[in-house]
Amino acid sequence: MAEDCDKPENSAENGGNDRLASTGRRGVLMLGAVAASSVVTIRPALASTAASVLNCKIPIPDPPHGGKYITTDGKLVAPNTQGAFAPAPRPVTGDEARKMINGQSPAGFDPNARQAYVNYIRRLQHGTSGFTCYASLQMPGR
Amino acid sequence: MRYAADPPAARLTIALDELVAIYHRPSGATHLLAPPAPELLDALAEGPADAPTLLARLSRQFDLPDADPQAIAARMEELVIAGLAWRA
Repeated sequence: MAEDCDKPENSAENGGNDRLASTGRRGVLMLGAVAASSVVTIRPALASTAASVLNCKIPIPDPPHGGKYITTDGKLVAPNTQGAFAPAPRPVTGDEARKMINGQSPAGFDPNARQAYVNYIRRLQHGTSGFTCYASLQMPGR
Repeated sequence: MRYAADPPAARLTIALDELVAIYHRPSGATHLLAPPAPELLDALAEGPADAPTLLARLSRQFDLPDADPQAIAARMEELVIAGLAWRA
């Protein structure tokens, strides 16, 4: 770990995986009890940061799949598929996504499509438009 | 349950004695991690994995006196809640 302190960018590129292999010795790693805790998140105190999270946008679907319909479980299917819902008329903001996840239906969106949209958002993967916005909403306390 | 994480380049990592401070570039959030959380993120650099696979990856580098997939899953759920990993 000490190497990380001196060369953080190098360690990021190497993934930190080399550091133990290069030392040639095995460390002891305790996994801890199931109920233990090992992560503390430091939330940015800047109000503007919170605002940007709530105003970030999630297109449904993401632009490469524009026009596709969304099934209730959040999968993308061909346009006009029976039982699936039309794309959201405009990108969902972080604030609106949070309301949808909490069971509300923000103005401008088909209330019947809410569950499909929520499940689509939950299935977002890294690299998909809107993922970072959703990931930011997951930060504790948001 | 399989887990995945951003590539290591998405994180800026600083060792703080026993703890590791991680700045997660995509979300702009900073996290303080105690073992084995940083090691789990490193283990995910090889690709998405479930708890037994993560256990196997860690055991290549570490002696694990309390090897328990349930403990791995508990640690991973913390990383998911923090936004550093997700269920794949």
